[in-house]
Amino acid sequence: MANVTAHPYLKLADPAGFAEVPFDEKKRLIDKVVADPRFPHYLYGCYECGICVAACPSARFYDFSPRRIAQAAARLDIELMFQQMEEDIWECSQCFSCLRCPRGNNPGGVITVMREVAVKEGLHSAKSALEGYSRIIYKIMSTGTQVSPDMLQPDAFPDWGPEVKDVSENLALWRRALPPETHHTTTTGWEVADSTILELYVIWLETGALEMIREVDAGIHMILEEIMEERLEEEGIEL
Amino acid sequence: MASSTVAVIGGGPAGLAAAASAASVGADVVIIEKLGFLGGRPIEENYASITPYLRSAEEAMGEVIAGTLAYPAVSVRLNTTVTGCTGEPGDFTLALDGPGGAESIEVASVVVATGFQHFDPGRETQLYGYYEFDDVIALQDLEAMLKEGRVTRPSNGEEPKRVCFIQCVGSRDRQIGNEYCSKVCCGVASKEATEVRLAVPGVEVFIFYIDMRMYGYWETQIYWPAQEKHHVQYIKGIITEVLPKDGRLLVRGEDTTMGRPMEVPMDLVVLSVGMEPSPGTRKMAEVLGIEQNRFGFIEAPKGPLDTVATSRAGIFAAGASLGPADLEDCSSSGGFAGARAAAVALSARGALR
Repeated sequence: MANVTAHPYLKLADPAGFAEVPFDEKKRLIDKVVADPRFPHYLYGCYECGICVAACPSARFYDFSPRRIAQAAARLDIELMFQQMEEDIWECSQCFSCLRCPRGNNPGGVITVMREVAVKEGLHSAKSALEGYSRIIYKIMSTGTQVSPDMLQPDAFPDWGPEVKDVSENLALWRRALPPETHHTTTTGWEVADSTILELYVIWLETGALEMIREVDAGIHMILEEIMEERLEEEGIEL
Repeated sequence: MASSTVAVIGGGPAGLAAAASAASVGADVVIIEKLGFLGGRPIEENYASITPYLRSAEEAMGEVIAGTLAYPAVSVRLNTTVTGCTGEPGDFTLALDGPGGAESIEVASVVVATGFQHFDPGRETQLYGYYEFDDVIALQDLEAMLKEGRVTRPSNGEEPKRVCFIQCVGSRDRQIGNEYCSKVCCGVASKEATEVRLAVPGVEVFIFYIDMRMYGYWETQIYWPAQEKHHVQYIKGIITEVLPKDGRLLVRGEDTTMGRPMEVPMDLVVLSVGMEPSPGTRKMAEVLGIEQNRFGFIEAPKGPLDTVATSRAGIFAAGASLGPADLEDCSSSGGFAGARAAAVALSARGALR
């Protein structure tokens, strides 16, 4: 019970099992969130009316509450915000239904900022949240399209029913049946122009998106770097 | 012979407004004040500033006093109390007890503006330790401190690192018998919380509440700035008890909206005490023979559209003698009661058209 008095609002000494993270480190991370130029525009003050929770689709399926996000941020509660960075923020679907807040808060926006810090800092939660998406990250960053037709294998999507099997067996044929010629592809969602790819690579590079991937998935980062390096060097751009 | 004088009992914000209002339409006015000075609670209790704009209470009340006394028709009797009342509208006789001994005066009508007193947080069984711990104080104690330009812990004179306000002390409580909301404490606590944040660098300030009731413009005059600009922390949940621990005060309660119990050490605990009828209000109701409600405030039997008439014709009430009231309420009802009392006085001398 000692920590209860040391840190207000903390019910348990170790609520989420992250006790190994020192307080100063938690504070460093939360300071980054608060220092983000968007933060003061996303969070004014919360009178805990719950309208954001009522509007939130994630709150219907998870023990997730945009109100708690806003409250913790308004109180600058380091322990709770850190706990939320390790857990809650990954349950948000970023639909921004919470924008109907009468105080003008944007809990979803606060989560955006928290997620960015979590990813950039390589937090455990960011890694595990993005784990299932490594193939999608690879696809979208290397080709600019997200889910490609050849990813639709029956074993990957058993709940899609028996027709997936037929489609996947004759994929190229089915794709050619689609009217737009740009959809006659199997390894990408649609035909992507070379100039678009180049532009995307430059964006990943310049915005730091490629660097963010390094923190959460070093393997994917290495593969992407190789692909991008080759194409960018042709244009005289150093990675 | 019928008198044309309005007697105003009580020289606080409501009484001063009533006197100025009656004098401005041509009545003679006598203000009868128990204490040796005018200004009422804000002066008597050393308020630092008035809600919502943080203006100096002394300065603001000084202006009201000067404005009222500028009417030649207004006279003041300090250190004087009313001990009896006979007669009827237009022709009352008030028995007074003042520095010159007992006497009686003829008046046409009366405005009772005898106000409230702060709830005594040691009176009931609440476990807040007001008389036990030096660092448990009430709103008016903090006002007096702020007026001296400091915020310190009475126990050791040091600046507090963490301060909390506990709302609804003596209000909205069936066990105590004060079931009403005292109306001003949310705003006053938020105002004082803001002042504490401005006075002590780095201090953390919490307000533990049941409902924050900051009606009308107080929402953006006080509440939102306190929270958004001054980072006062509002926690929905009332403290059950205050305990001493390692030279600090441990407050125990539930953070209801977060769904967890809390025990937080504080350096200074401020009890947001509510309003009760002042002894003068209770006494005047008895002396003047006017009805009180079950809380002891003066009853306004005509309801919301006539807020100042009492159960006795020719006698009106204003301000916090009628129930919890902020300064806006006091000057509004004071002005209304003053005009109504003046109408009786002017009609008594045949001057009312």
